[in-house]
Amino acid sequence: MPLFRILTIGSIVMSAVMTAQINIPFEQYKLPNGLTVILQEDHSAPVAAVTVMYHVGSKNEKVKRTGFAHLFEHIMFKGSEHVADGEHFRLLQEIGANINGFTTEDGTTYFEVVPSNYVELGLYLESDRMGFLLNAVTQHKLDNQRDVVKNERRQRVDNVPYGTADEKIAKAIYPPTHPYSWPVIGYMEDLSAASLEDVKEFFRTYYAPNNACLVICGDISPAEMRPLVEKYFGPISRGKDFERPAAVPVTLDAPKRMVFQDSVQLARLYVTWPSAPGYTREDAVLEVLSHILSRGKSSRLYKTLVYERQIAQSVFASAQGSEIAGLFSIEATAKPGKGLAPVQTVIDSVMADLLKNGVSAEDIAKAVTAVEVQTVNSAATVLGKANSLAAYYSYTGDPANINRKMDLYKGITPEEALSVARKYLSRPSVTLSVVPSGKPELAAQKGE
Amino acid sequence: MNPFPRICMTSLLFGTLAYGVGVAGDQLDRTQRPKGKPAPVIHLPEIQKSSLKNGLQVWLVENHKLPLVAFSLVIPSGTDRDPAGQPGIASMTADMLDEGTATRSSLQIADDLDAIGANLGTFANTDGSFINLGTLSRYLDKALEIYADVVVHPVFPEKDFSRLKKQRLASLLQQHDQPTAIANNSFNFILYGGSHPYGNNPMGTEQSVQSMTIDDLKKFYHTYYRPGNATLVVVGDADLGHLTGTLEKLFGSWESGPVPTAVLPNPPAAGQRTIYLIDKPNAAQSEIRIGYPALARSTPDYFPVILMNRMLGGQFTSRINLNLRERHGYTYGANSSFRFFKGPGPFVASAGVITDKTDSSLVEFMHELTLMREKGMTAEELAYAKKGAVGSFALAFETPAQIAGALQSIVLYGLPENYFNSYLQNIESVTLGDVQRVASAYIDPSRMAIVVVGDLAKIRSKIAALGLGEVVLCDTDGKKLP
Repeated sequence: MPLFRILTIGSIVMSAVMTAQINIPFEQYKLPNGLTVILQEDHSAPVAAVTVMYHVGSKNEKVKRTGFAHLFEHIMFKGSEHVADGEHFRLLQEIGANINGFTTEDGTTYFEVVPSNYVELGLYLESDRMGFLLNAVTQHKLDNQRDVVKNERRQRVDNVPYGTADEKIAKAIYPPTHPYSWPVIGYMEDLSAASLEDVKEFFRTYYAPNNACLVICGDISPAEMRPLVEKYFGPISRGKDFERPAAVPVTLDAPKRMVFQDSVQLARLYVTWPSAPGYTREDAVLEVLSHILSRGKSSRLYKTLVYERQIAQSVFASAQGSEIAGLFSIEATAKPGKGLAPVQTVIDSVMADLLKNGVSAEDIAKAVTAVEVQTVNSAATVLGKANSLAAYYSYTGDPANINRKMDLYKGITPEEALSVARKYLSRPSVTLSVVPSGKPELAAQKGE
Repeated sequence: MNPFPRICMTSLLFGTLAYGVGVAGDQLDRTQRPKGKPAPVIHLPEIQKSSLKNGLQVWLVENHKLPLVAFSLVIPSGTDRDPAGQPGIASMTADMLDEGTATRSSLQIADDLDAIGANLGTFANTDGSFINLGTLSRYLDKALEIYADVVVHPVFPEKDFSRLKKQRLASLLQQHDQPTAIANNSFNFILYGGSHPYGNNPMGTEQSVQSMTIDDLKKFYHTYYRPGNATLVVVGDADLGHLTGTLEKLFGSWESGPVPTAVLPNPPAAGQRTIYLIDKPNAAQSEIRIGYPALARSTPDYFPVILMNRMLGGQFTSRINLNLRERHGYTYGANSSFRFFKGPGPFVASAGVITDKTDSSLVEFMHELTLMREKGMTAEELAYAKKGAVGSFALAFETPAQIAGALQSIVLYGLPENYFNSYLQNIESVTLGDVQRVASAYIDPSRMAIVVVGDLAKIRSKIAALGLGEVVLCDTDGKKLP
């Protein structure tokens, strides 16, 4: 059938790798305009997720125009040429869909989970805002969503205890020109400065089919989907190529110490190291180390700080690998009225022991099992699968890497864990003490 | 619906030829909205049941999509059964279950679970106490052995209790940093008072936590944690035969016993509309809660009420959100809900709003509540809400967690077992008259409490000038200041 020959341009990938952990089979192809399409069949429930991910995030923003990728995400819900303001939500909530979008440093994802008889509506709406947004964007919509986003910043950052800690740390770790040095939600003054022309330019550069992927996952037939995808997305024209921010290794010349007084009851210490980008073996090893440090009552930091000595209310270690860099962080909250210096002493000695004596094979096995469980759980929903396939496509170039995820964790030895720990965690770090207002003496050390 | 309609071929061919040309030549008529295909079949979870000799009910829904099994032991006695004057007992009892058994220390329980990647969660909410376990099915027997140990043989060790008490006191202190927590806790206290369980913080108060003893917890445990007062909900990669045999062995020694039927006091009647202001100097925005004690889950008006609320504040396209967020830009999100408990839970309309627009936001809230009360909904709105509720229902049984949640609600609220079979019919049969009736019966803004947490120096006089009612200043627990 000639229809199909045209539609199946590009390669069809059927994932055949069977791992004990996860196996998401899918078909993948590209439209001539560069849109990558991923179709995943799962008839276990009468639902389908339609996800469109654009490979653009806050790291594509310019200095003084921070928060733009996310503000733009909001504009995308305000209608396009054939969809009036408010209609996107109205049409989808009418059918009971679960709708949202999210923006990170690296990507912007839009989705709707619909009863499976309404997939075509999702394709119609997504294609209309991919192909026909600009004529529908107005100053009024921009101003309105700018207000909403400023409210979002107040709700999630400014009115939350410790809410601005992360952006203070990022600013201290990355040089000012590094795109991870500013927060995804942006600074208030930059949000105020965004102009209608900025919005339009952003759309022309980044919201093109060749910078996007469409994933349809769930109770669908790929044979039915292909012509529909072509019908709605085929006519949208390809955009120009653009340069992506490159990965530049980030290191600190010397440790940095900061103290911030906030309207909080308990003092909190953050220790953060520049680390490896995501989707890499090193990031996997760092994730394993973070589990060994703070997952479960027997983990090293939790056991000493929270369980035995009870000088901390909580402690979390995490490895956050993003596309061009990563952070390894430890966050510990002191008990009421207590200072951070003894907490810092314990963290220093636990880390010194880790860097000297490393971890055991048993420690590693336990952590890898926990990752395996998380990975299996992430495949429980069509939305989880669709968003994972989109992210693996955008960040690794091959969605099938989701099915090979556990390979990154296979065969991690104590020697390898020690060498990765030494490579990243013996370097200078950023230490931030957030202390109750008027009590700078609770800080771990004086700020610089 | 023909999957290959004629128009598709046209645009398809053109799309290919038009490569690089642009959308200008698009032949697709985008003013035509796609229609849905016939509704798919929704497979409701099929519940298999068995019971153990000691009376423990076991409900299983098999789901072999993933190699996971989820357990939830549901005990329909939660913080609503906290002894009078001792809030926090139910939740602390749940928290202490995995802190030591007859044969395992707190650390051993954690280590044994970590070794197989199993996740255990124990908690109490308003309506029940829950012990949840998630495990890979290949470790099912091992995980169940630890799970049963925690349920049947907890010993409530003194040193772990003292550690958890200190943690909880610190958590209570931390809640005073969080405007949302202050607003929620104060709202409940203002509505229900300290002598009704719904008025108290489920974690307790500083004083009740200080004075709590091991014996209080043991008493709660022995009173309510009885196999005849529990249902074990299991969803996932398991089969009933194997499961029942294993459970009989592991839970067989759990002793049955009589469980007292407690009677929940009636909530205080809502009075005249009053404004309660709580100061949070330098707050970046104001947290608003508006409402009063309303309906129990057993209300015969459940279906008209959820449809009415869907339009009022139950979804993005609701009147309240479109007004406060999309039309005015006062907030990141505004909503309303009826919180259905075993007893009459609150109706609450809420939002975090920009400080300067706190008074304007209250005006808009009052406008929407009054409008719904007086005019109800249009036929189009009701049809829209119904269609949305039907669609949401199709999305409701996708994951084991959703299925477990559905089963929990049947257990907790004594819903009929065919509840989900008749759900769509119940939605469809709601009339416009039903909706008008429940709107005027249950939405009465003249009697609601309005709680605002924010920077009073900036908002107080403007709120008072609205003349909505008496203005009362409260502390961060919702208690009236002298």
